[in-house]
Amino acid sequence: MSNLMRTISRPREVISDRYRTLFAKTALIAATALLASPLGASAQATSAPANTGQSSSEKATTSASKDRWLHVRVISSDAKGETVRVNIPLELAEKVLPAIHQDRIHDGKVKIDDAHVNDVDLRALVEAIRTTKDGEFVTVQSNDCDVRVAKQSNHLIVHVLDKENSKKSEVEIKVPMKVIDALFSAGKDELDLVAALHALSAQGDTELVSVKDHENTVRVWLDSKNVTE
Amino acid sequence: MMLLVKAALGLGGTIVLAGAYAMREGVIRIDVDEYRSGGSHVHLWVPAAAVPMAMHFVPGEHMRCASEQAREALPILHVVVKELKKYPDADFVEIVGSNEHVRVRTHDGKLQIDVDAPDEKVHVLCPLSTIEDVTRQLEEHGPAA
Repeated sequence: MSNLMRTISRPREVISDRYRTLFAKTALIAATALLASPLGASAQATSAPANTGQSSSEKATTSASKDRWLHVRVISSDAKGETVRVNIPLELAEKVLPAIHQDRIHDGKVKIDDAHVNDVDLRALVEAIRTTKDGEFVTVQSNDCDVRVAKQSNHLIVHVLDKENSKKSEVEIKVPMKVIDALFSAGKDELDLVAALHALSAQGDTELVSVKDHENTVRVWLDSKNVTE
Repeated sequence: MMLLVKAALGLGGTIVLAGAYAMREGVIRIDVDEYRSGGSHVHLWVPAAAVPMAMHFVPGEHMRCASEQAREALPILHVVVKELKKYPDADFVEIVGSNEHVRVRTHDGKLQIDVDAPDEKVHVLCPLSTIEDVTRQLEEHGPAA
């Protein structure tokens, strides 16, 4: 009874004590949570890498959907059965290439010998193709192989079907003319890789190279996803 | 007695805070296992924030030497890391064979390299910000700096 009376007589102190206890508990929980969060995050990050692959890929697809990605996929059907997947953001390639100074590559440009390859003046050839209307330039049909080189909807298309062996192989290359223009926009003996990548990034989703033979399937394409399907 | 408790509390709190500060950028994890006679087994877990901090205590002569050796790679590394930070969760390279798996990707802002082969396993995980800090410090000690 005397305690009760003391409590009634000192209500401010009781409230103060209750708040003090509550505050202390809250502060303790908050501090524990704050301190535990980076440890927990690091523990999660360093957990078995293979387990997190799918979820991170899915998350990544949505997070970087506006970027343009160049994909290369090689599927080998030989005994080893290897699959290679390379995904490169075009923006990253554009920024990194100028930093490379090795052999023939400097400032995002690669040197070629006098713009002649096997006595073909590449620059003149490109200029001729650029100014020509859509149409087929080369068509070869034989028992050994079919070859088709054409300009169609501002794309240069090269199609080769090798029938020489019993196992057929097929190559299809489809490059936007703007990319080819950009590639040859540098000096006389140079190919401007950065300009070509920049031109490529302005293109929509497109398949650039497709190679199929009895052992390998190669695909090079451009889209906005950062993972291959 | 109270003084001892307070001192212990202060020391404990400092250790916990220092630990949390050191772990704020996660850890650098390097696991290498070579399954052959004489093969090396390296398992290294280091708080990522500690590495750039520790580099301040490396003698300038050694830093200049390291910077000189990495001279050609530093500009490329600097750009690559800067650009990779824009893609904190992305798969860049994956090679899957019948019994081997290689993967290079970024995960939660960390560069992750995994090699799983019958004769060796390599797992490297390093925050991109740490690589950037290390690169910057090496560049600062370069001949041009």
